[in-house]
Amino acid sequence: MSDQTDLLQGTLDLLIMRTIAPEPLHGWAIAQRIQQISDELLRVQQGSLYPALHRLEHQGWIAAEWGASDNNRRARFYSLTRAGRKQLTTEVSKWERLSAGVNLVLQRT
Amino acid sequence: MRVWHIVMAWLRSVFLRGRREAELGEELRFHLERETERLVAAGVEPQQARLQARRTFGSVEAVKEQSRDARGTGFVDHLGRDTRHAARRLMRDWRFTLAAVLILGLGIGVNTALFSLVNAVLFRQNSVADTARVVDIYQDFPGGGAGGNTYPAYLDVAAYSDMFASTTAAYMPRSATFRQGATLRQGMVEHVSASYLDVMGLRPTLGRWFTDMEDARNAPPVAVVGHRVWTTRFASDPAIVGRILQIDGVPVTIVGVAPARHAATLNLGVHTDFWLPIGALPTFLGSDRVFDRRLNEPAFFIKARLQPAVTVARAQAAMSTLGARLAREFPQNNQGAGISVYASSGVRIHPQIDVVIAGVAAVLFLVVGLVLAIACSNLATLMLVRGAARLKEVSVRLAVGASRAQLIRHLLTESVLLALGGGAAGCVLAWWTTQWLMSLDLPVNVEVGLDLRVLGFAFALSLVTGVVFGLAPAVKSTRVELWQTLRGEGDAGAPSRRRFTLKNALVVFQVAMSVLLLSGTGMGLQMMAAGRTLQTGYAVDGVAMLETDARYAAKATEAARLFEELRRRVAAIPGVQATALTRGLPMESNGMAIVIEGAASAGGQVARASSIWAGPGFFETMRIPILYGRALDERDRAGAPRAAVVSESMARRYFGGVNAVGRRFRPDLSPDAWMQVVGVARAATTSDLNSELVGVQRFLYYRSIEQWAVTPKVVVARSTLGSAPLLRALQTELGRVDEALPVLTAKTMRQILDDSLVVARGSTMFFAAIGLLGLCLAGIGLYAVIAFAVTRRAREIGIRMALGADGRQVVRSVAVEVASLVGVGTAIGLGLSLLGVLALRVAGTNAVTGVANISLFRPSVDPVAMIVIGMFTAMVGLAAAVVPARRASRMDPLMALRHD
Repeated sequence: MSDQTDLLQGTLDLLIMRTIAPEPLHGWAIAQRIQQISDELLRVQQGSLYPALHRLEHQGWIAAEWGASDNNRRARFYSLTRAGRKQLTTEVSKWERLSAGVNLVLQRT
Repeated sequence: MRVWHIVMAWLRSVFLRGRREAELGEELRFHLERETERLVAAGVEPQQARLQARRTFGSVEAVKEQSRDARGTGFVDHLGRDTRHAARRLMRDWRFTLAAVLILGLGIGVNTALFSLVNAVLFRQNSVADTARVVDIYQDFPGGGAGGNTYPAYLDVAAYSDMFASTTAAYMPRSATFRQGATLRQGMVEHVSASYLDVMGLRPTLGRWFTDMEDARNAPPVAVVGHRVWTTRFASDPAIVGRILQIDGVPVTIVGVAPARHAATLNLGVHTDFWLPIGALPTFLGSDRVFDRRLNEPAFFIKARLQPAVTVARAQAAMSTLGARLAREFPQNNQGAGISVYASSGVRIHPQIDVVIAGVAAVLFLVVGLVLAIACSNLATLMLVRGAARLKEVSVRLAVGASRAQLIRHLLTESVLLALGGGAAGCVLAWWTTQWLMSLDLPVNVEVGLDLRVLGFAFALSLVTGVVFGLAPAVKSTRVELWQTLRGEGDAGAPSRRRFTLKNALVVFQVAMSVLLLSGTGMGLQMMAAGRTLQTGYAVDGVAMLETDARYAAKATEAARLFEELRRRVAAIPGVQATALTRGLPMESNGMAIVIEGAASAGGQVARASSIWAGPGFFETMRIPILYGRALDERDRAGAPRAAVVSESMARRYFGGVNAVGRRFRPDLSPDAWMQVVGVARAATTSDLNSELVGVQRFLYYRSIEQWAVTPKVVVARSTLGSAPLLRALQTELGRVDEALPVLTAKTMRQILDDSLVVARGSTMFFAAIGLLGLCLAGIGLYAVIAFAVTRRAREIGIRMALGADGRQVVRSVAVEVASLVGVGTAIGLGLSLLGVLALRVAGTNAVTGVANISLFRPSVDPVAMIVIGMFTAMVGLAAAVVPARRASRMDPLMALRHD
């Protein structure tokens, strides 16, 4: 557990949106995907995943639809809406600026 | 768009809540199963895998909760849950809940009952088709302001057919009697024109309205029965049409039943029982003077339906022209009197009366509003005390992460729930009150009830109350020092030495308001006492009277003979010293304009005097001394020169000296009816003590009942054997004269005088009831505060007792606290009542009520009443403090020191 990092406030939204940008995924798959892609460095607190999904849906950035999962069960698939894509772009650039800034501070001091 | 989105989400959450919940459950279940599958695939044993999946996921319920919150639709869920929680907490504390609901129920109930009355009088409109097209028309008083109309003026108005599609006149509603089987009932009758229903735009429920022919003078009387009396008294019997009923002893043919939900011409909440033609007025009033063009008795209301294109303004212009014309043609009666047109929707009863009624209603509301204020502040006190008692619970909840806003929301939900419960209790109370009011056999048919408007009022009142009395305590009791309370010190560690706390202020307020209300009682009592001790100037003890109506007798045409026989029989009753015939209550007066012979009439003020009917023997019966000349007696019969006896004060006022014998005067209404003053009587009051007390000045004169061709209705007698046996004997004799003669009124003189003080007695009872109610509530509040203070100071008391203080000292310290609260409250209350008395005196002196000539009783400052009220309040305070004080004094020091 110690080499896994708790997510910064607000970054979970960013990660979720980025993860479902290529294709719609259900909640469990989103958590798995984030974990895999980050080489197990990031672990999504499952307790906070669903509130985040519902919040994003409520804000209109992602949309949910019931569909069949890989093992042919009913699951709720989330996909980015048009507003969500725009939001993702802004969030990504915001994040890049933030991490660049943080890196600079860390290197120069 | 975002707003729209949120609104839709909110609506969905309200209406699709069940589905949304099911989906959320399914989504999370899927997640857990998928995770379990993954673990199983990784080689974990299925049972173990399921547990592990759950563990990593955490609390499903918490996730659900947070997901709901994330949607921003938590509000509805919260409301539901908070309500459930609050209800459960209140159920657990059922004693507190019961007390709170009762307290609030009383406050809201009194308000709602009063509102239903005001609603019946002021807000309930009679059904009229297309009200917007109907107008009220009034001839103005010479000084300005809407007055009443004369009948000729109605005919003049009705001639404007280019303005008005139809016009109707209605005589001022009057009370009458009608016979149903063997019983004689009181009812209200209206005399209106044949065009009445055209103006109202309504159709009769049954039969028809009367025709123009039937409205002609001296036509055989017909009537339309009111819808309400038809249903309540005549069992909705359709056969009533065509039947003959006796109204005021006159046989009347019923031709129809009035429209439902049209109670009367005036929106007074009083239902008219019979509608009669105006042409029948002389038959019932015994005079056709009502048809004269005189502004002294302008007793007609005019309502008209406007022609399609005519506006109120145009009608007003036309009526102003008419007013100017009438003023020119009849300068004596119509000078300076314009004509006003009002849209009927803006008038309840009469433009002038509406103002007065609204004023009275406002005062009543102010008073019962005080009761509600007491009840509310009381509840606030209880909530505060309860909040303080729950300090620990609040602290724990704050410590585990509940936000203060959440806690306030919970507490507020509780108080709103309580208030709604109180509102429901209040409605029940109000319903009982109105049912009780309706069950009284009142002479008028009033419909007081709870309708949607009343219920809405109660609901709004309880909501506002809930927030008002819940907010401050909620804010206050969530402001805690966590570490202190959790260590079990509460704020007992630093006993508050502050005198001005919210709790204390609330109790002082309650006491002050109760004292204020109680001093209203003192005022009513003062007025009644003044009425009791008033020098009437006539005999009261041993005097009794009986009123009947000879028109109901088998031989109605021989009224004079019947009454003469009655008088003879009454005079023969053992113990009777004198008896006389009169009309109306003995000493009941009738004010009117008079003309004094030889006095300059032009320009100056109109002379007014009040007439009292007196048959031979009246002065002896009432023991009114004659100062000069003689009393009215057998000589003053019809045909003899008209005679009058004037009172001392009238003689001084209008005849320039006490001895006015030989002078002449006449009623302004009767040009040739000069009366000669044959005697001067010692000053006396009328039987209306209320107006005597408020200082209405009257100049009395007595005139012969026979010389004015007035049928007597009353026999009055004085007996040495007391008035109560006399009353019974009078009734026996009446039955012997003619079995059919009904007893309309049978009272002793004392009863008559007491009844005339009904306003004083009513307000005494009203203020006493709500003052006591307020004081009871204040007592409860005081009890709660003291009991709480004792509990809070348990440790201090324990230490003091452990150090050797005895119970008495402890009691004393509690007593000081009670005394200071009650003392300050009483002082404020008495101060306010003093201000009230002074204000009433000023108002009474200045006669500020320019609208209608209302006089006010001018109370004086009554130190005895103030002391009594103060002592009474102190007693209630003591009673409230006894239990907690005893508990404090018997406290076991050991227990007290360990007291949490």
